[in-house]
Amino acid sequence: MTEAPAVLYHKEGPVAWVTLNRPQVLNAYNLAMRDELYQTLEAVRDDPEVRGAVLCGAGERAFCAGADLTEFGTAPSQAIARAVRWERDVWGLFLSLEVPVVAALHGYVLGSGVEMALLCDLRIASEDAIFGLPETALGMIPAAGGTQTLPRTVGISPALELLLTNQRWTAQEARERGLVHRVVPRAELLDQVRRTLAGILSGGREALALAKRALLNGMDIPLGEALDMEARLASSLLIRKGSAGVPGRPKTSTGR
Amino acid sequence: MASLTLRRPRSGNRVNRLMVEELSLAAALVNQDDSVRAVTITGSGTTFSSGWEPFRLSSPGELSRYQGARVIASIQVPVVAAINGDAIGQGLELALAADLRIAVSSARFAMPQVSHGLLPWDGGTQRLARIVGRPCAMEMLLTGESLDAQTALRKGLVNRVVEPEELNEAVEDILERILAGAPIAVAYAKEAVREGMDLVLGQGLRLEADLNILLHSTRDRAEGLRSFSERRAPVFRGE
Repeated sequence: MTEAPAVLYHKEGPVAWVTLNRPQVLNAYNLAMRDELYQTLEAVRDDPEVRGAVLCGAGERAFCAGADLTEFGTAPSQAIARAVRWERDVWGLFLSLEVPVVAALHGYVLGSGVEMALLCDLRIASEDAIFGLPETALGMIPAAGGTQTLPRTVGISPALELLLTNQRWTAQEARERGLVHRVVPRAELLDQVRRTLAGILSGGREALALAKRALLNGMDIPLGEALDMEARLASSLLIRKGSAGVPGRPKTSTGR
Repeated sequence: MASLTLRRPRSGNRVNRLMVEELSLAAALVNQDDSVRAVTITGSGTTFSSGWEPFRLSSPGELSRYQGARVIASIQVPVVAAINGDAIGQGLELALAADLRIAVSSARFAMPQVSHGLLPWDGGTQRLARIVGRPCAMEMLLTGESLDAQTALRKGLVNRVVEPEELNEAVEDILERILAGAPIAVAYAKEAVREGMDLVLGQGLRLEADLNILLHSTRDRAEGLRSFSERRAPVFRGE
């Protein structure tokens, strides 16, 4: 018997669907999932037909309940652990995707589950979603960027609170703190995600990619430099598009 | 656990040079003492701190003697501010240097230095904006107007608002949760967030990864994993 893939991949038109697929263990993140996620995200990145992506979890109970701790502590040395971390930088690959990525969150969203969601551009949660970062209670800290992405998303105080006190946030609390953009009934989650992406994809592919880059890179640098970067990106687009984007004309983007 | 109390009750716990000196001593003790895992800071009476006690500055170098928030920010373990009443001006600056803020419902928050013809000198123009965002910080700085506790909660200035009689319990609850974590991991998590917010994202991610690798050598990490697989509560030793 061959083992089921840890990550499923299919396309709905221009949208890539990436599904964490270890529902029997609440989609816990393990080495197999890392390797398959890496390959899948490469496919998303390299496929010119893909204009948007969804990250979701299989099964009823969880988006992802965190890392699979049964596979932890196996690195023979710190040097090897460090080399392994950067050999397949799945989180960096996430951030390098040019297409908009929406996380569809349900059930347990813990540890690396929260962190993966934070690497997406939009987060839509069902009413039953539960959020938490239990790492410090296990002698660890987040390892998929959570200490960096969470404060950049919800602000430094709520981030420290979630990180240091091992709290759980309900979907509503996550919404109030800005961790998720929208909360919807479970039965409507995937449809809402589809609709949200469809709305986003009416923008041009290139404009979306540049907007993502401008926002992600610009928040961390001095405003003057960030404005220069924005002007550079915008002018490159304006020059290539000619007059296609003149205001007042109806939007007829083809994504090219 | 160590607790600090701003105690100049007759003057609304106003910050003076002696208070900053004593805070510095306390912070040094805390940072040298591995058994201290978290710090609380509160005010005596029903005020957190009403601001600064007027002083005369003869040279710019002297200013650091009046900077208490800088001292609080140097503490390596988590600092919880139990805001038992108004936190005004430098009083608010002290609270902003803590990691978590719990306030009583009657507390008011203001940064009135500019309306008195002065500029905040203990992080007020920097930490406030990083915590509540630029629009709210600008309004507080330029108008000097105060926020009530509920508004402060909405703006993210405080983490929680409780009734005065519930303050101790709420602080205990937060402390218990912090103390349940592994000491080195908790300190590293704080460091990753605090230092990482001043780095570009890519550098912040490297910092997080490096701290993770350092944690590989701790016994507490092994204990955390063991306790998880044995379905029991971990016993951390800070090693």
